[in-house]
Amino acid sequence: MDVVTSSHDLIERIKAGDQEAFAALFNKYRRRLAVLIHFRLSPELRSFAEVDDILQEAWLRAFRDFAQFTYRSPGSFMSWLARIADHAMADVARSQGRQKRHAVEMLRFRSASNPAGPEPLDSKTPSRLLAQEESLRRLLDKLNALPEDYRQAILLMKVEGLSTPEAAERLGKSKEATALLLHRAVKRFRALEEPSG
Amino acid sequence: MAEDSGQKRQETEEGGGREQLLADAVADYLDRQARGEAPSIESFCRTHGSLAQDLKPLLEALEVIEVTLRPEPPVVPGPHRDSQLPEFLSGHKILSEIGSGGMGCVYLAVDERLGRKVAIKVLSPCFRDNPLLRERFMQEARAMAKLRHPNIAHIYSLGPPDEAPHFVMEYLEGVPLTEAARPLTLRQKAELMHKVVLAVEFLHQHQVIHRDLKPGNILVGPELEPKVLDFGLALQTGEHATRLSSPGDVVGTPNYFSPEQAGGSSPLDVRSDVFSLGAIFYELLTGEVPFRGETFPALIQRICQDDPVLPRRLDPAIPGDLQNICLKALEKNPAERYSSVREMASDLERFLAEEPVLAVPTSYARLMAGKIDQHLRELEGWKQDHIVSEQEFDAFRRLYDRLVDREDAWIMAVRRLTLSQVTLYFGAWILVLGAALVMLFNYPHLSGTPAVLVVSAAAASTAWVGVRSWQREQRRIAIAYLLAFCLLLPVALLVGMDRIGLLTGLTRNDQTLEFFARFESFKRTTNAQLWWSVLLSLPVYFWLRRFTRASVFSLVEAVMAAVLSVVSLLRMGMLGWLDSDPGKVYFELIPFAALFFLVGMLIERFRYPADSRYFYSVAVVATFISLSGVALFHEPYADWLKRVAPRTRGQLEYLFIINAGVYLLLQFLCERLPLAQMRAVAKTFRFVIPGHVLTSLLLLGLAASDLWEKSPSSAALRHEARFFEIVLPLAASLFVFGSVPKQLKNYLATGLLFLAIGIVRLEEDLFKQRATWPLGLLVAGLLLMLAAANYSPLRMAVSRAIRRRP
Repeated sequence: MDVVTSSHDLIERIKAGDQEAFAALFNKYRRRLAVLIHFRLSPELRSFAEVDDILQEAWLRAFRDFAQFTYRSPGSFMSWLARIADHAMADVARSQGRQKRHAVEMLRFRSASNPAGPEPLDSKTPSRLLAQEESLRRLLDKLNALPEDYRQAILLMKVEGLSTPEAAERLGKSKEATALLLHRAVKRFRALEEPSG
Repeated sequence: MAEDSGQKRQETEEGGGREQLLADAVADYLDRQARGEAPSIESFCRTHGSLAQDLKPLLEALEVIEVTLRPEPPVVPGPHRDSQLPEFLSGHKILSEIGSGGMGCVYLAVDERLGRKVAIKVLSPCFRDNPLLRERFMQEARAMAKLRHPNIAHIYSLGPPDEAPHFVMEYLEGVPLTEAARPLTLRQKAELMHKVVLAVEFLHQHQVIHRDLKPGNILVGPELEPKVLDFGLALQTGEHATRLSSPGDVVGTPNYFSPEQAGGSSPLDVRSDVFSLGAIFYELLTGEVPFRGETFPALIQRICQDDPVLPRRLDPAIPGDLQNICLKALEKNPAERYSSVREMASDLERFLAEEPVLAVPTSYARLMAGKIDQHLRELEGWKQDHIVSEQEFDAFRRLYDRLVDREDAWIMAVRRLTLSQVTLYFGAWILVLGAALVMLFNYPHLSGTPAVLVVSAAAASTAWVGVRSWQREQRRIAIAYLLAFCLLLPVALLVGMDRIGLLTGLTRNDQTLEFFARFESFKRTTNAQLWWSVLLSLPVYFWLRRFTRASVFSLVEAVMAAVLSVVSLLRMGMLGWLDSDPGKVYFELIPFAALFFLVGMLIERFRYPADSRYFYSVAVVATFISLSGVALFHEPYADWLKRVAPRTRGQLEYLFIINAGVYLLLQFLCERLPLAQMRAVAKTFRFVIPGHVLTSLLLLGLAASDLWEKSPSSAALRHEARFFEIVLPLAASLFVFGSVPKQLKNYLATGLLFLAIGIVRLEEDLFKQRATWPLGLLVAGLLLMLAAANYSPLRMAVSRAIRRRP
């Protein structure tokens, strides 16, 4: 997996002050992160903060706090990013809960006073990044069709890239049970694929 | 049936075992992937023999996810890679590329129909395929095209849908703002900034937040007319993303980002632009960007956490008002910034109209408070090492005092008393007066227990409301209530004691020594009751000081302690002395003055250094009153003076000179103590010395002249009178020049006044009707003025003459 092996080099380059390397590194994980964020956002939050916004936010924070990241294993950068995205989502949720969308924020969307603004995004519309590509959207649809615990297993182990023991800890199950859950999830996932295409 | 179900169970168990094996294999495969081993599906299946058949489709399903999640092929944006210039856009011939930004690049083109140069901004090729970005780009351009402002770049037309997304705008031949500003005066810079701020205000009025204000986006033409470019483009395109993801992008340094923009933590509003304007203004004034960082993350951290170096430190010529405007815009917390660009513009207008600006940045105050103290402490050390002289130190402190004064003046100007504030204190005062009436006078229908209940209820409710308000952070209201309580407390105690009949004993069993007995209509409150009520209240005031940390309660404590001292004197029989021996009253006051000094010193040393000043004030006033009173009225002292100084002209004459000596001593002592407030006390004593000494000399001289007049033949008396006549102007001159080392203007003023008196006295006797006296004065005055005006050359000439002599 060249994604992972070259990650280490990229991290070294970033530490040496290479800004382009950071962009490249982030790009590698961009889609995984987008998928994770998509499913971790609560439905009512999805209408306020699109996945892209969280993604950008996570990106900036990751850039800002990069000095605090230490490379331990090939997957550690992804789980670090996932954690940052979680914080970003929590902050957005908090700020949304606290303040009603005030005028400044309303500027973003099209209205009588701001005819130039874009149409507000429908809450059901997948975010821009996710909507851009057919394959990604199909993946989202299929993951969406899975039962919650199956989806979690795939997200943790395939998308976030956690090892079985890590995922087991996160799910609060034994390693064996986790593997079993994943197995059934993949089976169901495959079954979803067959009738549609 | 039973057999059947048993078989089924066996199958599921078997199936369960197999399923677990399969599951473990899948998990193993994923774990290997996570470790970066990247096994191929084929080879992995081969190692699992019998499972392979079931395993393969599962792994393939996972591979579908993997492929979908693989990173997009890296896009190579930017015109650098897209070196081919289009030939025509919107019918304009493209001449060259003149710049590139986050979203695209700008071409220089020529509008051949109108024969003018135009700039064409084109969306970067890597974004063109994204219909959303493309649409947004054109929407923004359409919105901007509607805005017309002399200081905003004008958009002529939008590109047709069949060409690459672009728009045609006015071509500006100018230089970036900071470059243009370099040769300008500070006033011109402020004027230029004012125009920029107004242009941004115009954008805000049209619901456009610029989000990317920087000197490079503000071009200045030869007429010093700035033009703001590139506005609105950044509004919701997520430009950080595009910007950072584009390697080699030239606009990647967010030196002018606001903290909220850099941290991305909260939605941006107009105050983000205010911050950027502050950063631009900072660079305009100082020539340096406010925040610098080696790396992007370091820069972001600086923006979010560090205070910029004060502009005046970089260039002392920058007026404080401009610094304040700049720092106010650069506040970290948006709520502390100018809340709109309009406010910033107004402050710049105030500066240009030479009026004081309103901005008082907190970062500045913070810096000041911290750094002044620190610097003064350092200076103190230098002073002790005799590297910095006393007057240099004083000069620094005075400078700082002036700074702080200005701040205070501002606070005063802002904190004007409102109707409700005045009403609050008015109400508190009336409440206290009402209670005092109950305490002082007899009311047939309100006495005894009801009176106690009424006053206690008033005291308790003020205390309760006060403490509650304090806990709810309503500090001012709380202090008003608690102050009322401070006065109500002793009143309530007095009313209570009156009811119970406590401490009714008379001072020395003498009705005439009772304070309230002197007033016919008052209740018979005894001195003892008064004394105990005040004494019992003092710890409560102390507790209030601790609870609220408001120094006003120390003031209350000091004042009530002073009252307690007076009541103590009353209990010692002061009223009797006033009639028979007033000097004793003043004499007995001296220990109280000393006591206040002691308490002040203890407080300054151990608890609230700043609060000690209230006690010192009482102590100083008591010292002045007691020493002057003793000198005037104390008979044993006068007798003693007559004995030790038989030629005395009476105690009044000596009073001043002896007291001046005492004050000199006290001043000396106070200065030696390592207490800051105490040194302020020393200043007070020093202040009165020249007046005392010179008054004394004048009075002695007058007395001597009187004696001489009575027996004109006495040579001794004549000498004595003449001696004082000459000593007075000499001493006065001494004080005049004594003002130099410690910069005491009071010495100068007092000395000059008494010099005039001395000169007149000399005229009346020694130089009576002699023209040489005024003429001599005229010449001497003129010579001294000339000498002063040529001080340095004269000094050099004198030192040269001295050197030549040996």
